[in-house]
Amino acid sequence: MNCRKFYTEHENASLEGFELEVRSEAADGVAIYRISGRLDAEAAASQGLQSAVGSAINGGNPRIIFDMRGVTLITSAGLRAVLVTAKQAAAANGGLAIFGVQSAVDEVFEISGLKQFISIALDEAEARSKLGA
Amino acid sequence: MKQLTLADEIVVLMLRDDTGEIEPARADCAHIAIAGGILMELSLLGRIDTDLSSLFIIDRNPVGDEFLDSVLREIAAEPMKRPSAWWIEQYVRHNGDVSRTVLRRLVEAGILRAEDRQFLWVFSRRAYPKNSGREEREAKARLMSVIFDDALPTPRDSLLLSLAEATGVLEGMLSSEEMRKASKRIADVLALEEISRAVRVVEANRRKALAAPVDWYVGMPRRTRD
Repeated sequence: MNCRKFYTEHENASLEGFELEVRSEAADGVAIYRISGRLDAEAAASQGLQSAVGSAINGGNPRIIFDMRGVTLITSAGLRAVLVTAKQAAAANGGLAIFGVQSAVDEVFEISGLKQFISIALDEAEARSKLGA
Repeated sequence: MKQLTLADEIVVLMLRDDTGEIEPARADCAHIAIAGGILMELSLLGRIDTDLSSLFIIDRNPVGDEFLDSVLREIAAEPMKRPSAWWIEQYVRHNGDVSRTVLRRLVEAGILRAEDRQFLWVFSRRAYPKNSGREEREAKARLMSVIFDDALPTPRDSLLLSLAEATGVLEGMLSSEEMRKASKRIADVLALEEISRAVRVVEANRRKALAAPVDWYVGMPRRTRD
């Protein structure tokens, strides 16, 4: 199991104390990223999440699941990171499925219409099934 | 200019081939699109971010383009967190005819040339014909690809689509039948980005404000009107 932890310092007071944690694991041909914290611009830009997902896709594992049970908030940049991941996975003949979306994040997904583009599942089993795993 | 910003691209797309100008009726709309394009660019460059209620700065370092950096400084200096729509309205209110600034940038970059043309034998006006037109063709090809491919759009292309929709550029590119067929896809892509939604809100408010006196007049009893 690969464990990554990112800490960022924001000038903006409202963002202080933020911490994003990503744990990744691979099982049955699917790479799962268990994400917790706030998924924002710095988290999205950090090498951790991007390179982890990128190496999974390039390593022949383009079926990706984001476990977002621990994600408390997502910003526009975070949403873009999700979309870019989905685009990369689709280009490699895989896909992205998400489960465990909390209410604050679900509101963003609803308003942005993300569900039109990305599979959102209730739980991990459904996410796997959406990816054909 | 290394790469055209979204504000540059929307101005290129709005320029009419025959007159070398932005249609006067769309000038206000162009200003809103330019303001939105600047925020979008700063967002793509990782300087600002947005959530459902506000826009906030995440990196104060200049991007190296004064056109964008002046707005970044303004956002950094604002003590309160404001929504994206507020920033677009502020920019439009305080920056006059910003399309001239963008046109000058495009001339300096060699994408347009400035020509003084006469009309009615007396008046002169500045026109901005395109040099090769390559930038316009490339932007249009990207827009067509976003609209007619089912694939997920890149963030930049989805943002450009929203500016093209808000400024009426799409109407000039697609037939009404094509627009009808693509309407759901366009709506889905437009919803993706918060700043895109803000541009639409500001543009809708502008149109509403323009229509208000007409609505008021039409709503009056006929005898009062006459």
